Amino acid sequence: MKKTVSILLTTALAAGMLAGCGGNSSETKEEGSSAKKGDYDLTLYSINTTDPDFDDWLKNVEDATGLKINVIAAPTDSDTRQQKITTILSTGDSSVDIIEINDEMSASFKNSGWLEGLNDTVMTEDIRGEFPQGYLEDMITDKDGNIIGVPGYSGYLAFWVNQEIMDEVGIASIDTKEDFVKYMEAVSGDGRYGYGGSWEKTYVFNEIAQFVNMFGGDYFDWTNPANKEAIQFLHDMVQNGQTPIDQIADKYEQMNPKANDGKYGSWFMWGLGTDYEKADMLGADKIHMAMVPDFSGKGQRAIFTDSWSYVLNKASENKEAAVKFLEYMADEGGMEASYKAFDRYPARADVAAKVVPDTDPAKEMYSRYAEECNVAGRPMLPQTMEFITDMGTIYQSCMKDEITVDDFCKKAQELVDKYSK
Amino acid sequence: MTISKKSMKWIPWILILPVILIRGFTTLYPIGATLKNSLFDIKVLSGVNEFVGLSNYINVFKDPKIISSISFTVIFVVVSMVFHVVLGVALALILNMKFKGRRFLRTIVLIPWAMPAVVIGMAAKWGFNNDYGMINDFIRRFVSDFQFNWLINTGSARAAVIAMDLWKDLPFFAILVLSGLQFISGDIYEAAKVDGANGIQSFFRITLPLITRNVITLCIPFTLWRLTTFDLVYAMTSGGPGEDTSLIAYRITMEAFTNLNVGYAATLAVMLFLVMALFSWFNIKVMNRMSD
Repeated sequence: MKKTVSILLTTALAAGMLAGCGGNSSETKEEGSSAKKGDYDLTLYSINTTDPDFDDWLKNVEDATGLKINVIAAPTDSDTRQQKITTILSTGDSSVDIIEINDEMSASFKNSGWLEGLNDTVMTEDIRGEFPQGYLEDMITDKDGNIIGVPGYSGYLAFWVNQEIMDEVGIASIDTKEDFVKYMEAVSGDGRYGYGGSWEKTYVFNEIAQFVNMFGGDYFDWTNPANKEAIQFLHDMVQNGQTPIDQIADKYEQMNPKANDGKYGSWFMWGLGTDYEKADMLGADKIHMAMVPDFSGKGQRAIFTDSWSYVLNKASENKEAAVKFLEYMADEGGMEASYKAFDRYPARADVAAKVVPDTDPAKEMYSRYAEECNVAGRPMLPQTMEFITDMGTIYQSCMKDEITVDDFCKKAQELVDKYSK
Repeated sequence: MTISKKSMKWIPWILILPVILIRGFTTLYPIGATLKNSLFDIKVLSGVNEFVGLSNYINVFKDPKIISSISFTVIFVVVSMVFHVVLGVALALILNMKFKGRRFLRTIVLIPWAMPAVVIGMAAKWGFNNDYGMINDFIRRFVSDFQFNWLINTGSARAAVIAMDLWKDLPFFAILVLSGLQFISGDIYEAAKVDGANGIQSFFRITLPLITRNVITLCIPFTLWRLTTFDLVYAMTSGGPGEDTSLIAYRITMEAFTNLNVGYAATLAVMLFLVMALFSWFNIKVMNRMSD
């Protein structure tokens, strides 16, 4: 009898567990989704949540739009972030409405059909002209001409110099290729380098493309002699001790302390110099932005622009609220809020002119970049990270003399052909 | 009320049904899906999803990135496991000695093991930096003009990754060996001493034979963990310089979640699964033979 009872009890327990599991899970899901719908108008996947002013920014946006926004913090690690966002979009997950994506993700996602076109709702013709055209066309317009994002700010891969070093070697400006070479020779030695970079394989792409651009080359055509000239120039800088080979292990977090410590005379870097400011090294007499040198000899200066764009998940079930949010972010109020909270330079030229005070040191240089340089989005292909990583890998091999510059150009063209298909 | 013998046969199955269902959903289904995906060319970003049969399996052996990953994985597993066994046993012997502070040492020795590999990887990236790293800072106390960036050359970057892996997991291995040592009766050593055996003879004639089975058993999970290590290189070297420290598990993660080449990643995962299954089978065979 005891045996029978215990068997019945355990059977009932097992059945109960199964039934219980099923019942509870569906109930929780329903409650969860209805609670979410009731509490929030939309969900934002944001990269800015660690900023101390994020809450002020969120309040500003909620007050201005009347929306109640649920925020999900994106991972700070770039690979993990991209993996998560890709998973959300590719699986048609509707739990997130608005996502912030960078250029690498834009290049990968813009033709995937995962993002809603914004031409008729947010990025209408009347405001489109105020955004950097090169950026809109190169980075966030899909193959059918739909703009798929609202640029959250305007950034440049700016040329930075250390004024203390410039004064020490007696060079007043670096305006041409010859000036740049002279500066390299004057600065380099005793553990100091004329030029520094972050050449980790997924980061170095920016600098390769920048130098190719400065030499008048084409990143997608490695038969172009200017491309080879650019790579040879970088290779010679390594050989001559004007830039360190050590930097192939460096990302920006390793490069910036070296810049602050006066190890580098010049470098290319995104942003407004927050890391230099924190180290009390930002200023006209210390570290500051400078005009990009003219390597062409024809007065043509090349610079890349970047942004993080707000995009609308096509699977979103809150599109009306999402469009309202995006309209505000494309408007003066939204851009001003981002500038004040996150130091994000407004993407719209008309808004930047109004909102950014003349005392901001970036204003003058950013205006000059916009006026005097050929501004373009970075050259990317749909398999963005794979292409960037493979290019970085062969570049590191070339700089370490494992392959020649000619081999590099040949392999680079093969990669372009492979990933352009 | 009585239950027939035939019905009794089903009771255990009913009782383990929840576990079977959970396992089926969380393990068997993913394995089946991975096997299926490995026969397809699935590139999420390009929208490609085509049946290619065994092409992915053939392409693996033509892909220089994979060849490099396999090569480093073999080096990583073999070198790391040799040091695990040699240094792990040595550390266990030290921890088994009677000295003041032994209990404290046994406790703190496990701290590296308790730390997440990603944290260790990020710290190691700075630790091996030529300008700011503590490794070179330490060396410069003896060789003042020492300059070397560990993470930019193939050999030194690989050595650094293996060193960090040992730093993290070796203490855990040693503690597990120590548990085996503590089963050896002190009487055996006493008897050996009476017979004139010295410390080295006691180690090779008594200790080693008695812990061999324990060490081989430990080698199975520790080797399998080495084969699936990805977080350390993910945070420490990102597989660089070039692809020189891309362990196979790291390469699978990159193909699956960064490049979104799901089919190719599945192929690599299946191959890794087969290698791990083969290794486990071999180890069990060895252990059975030892028992016989």
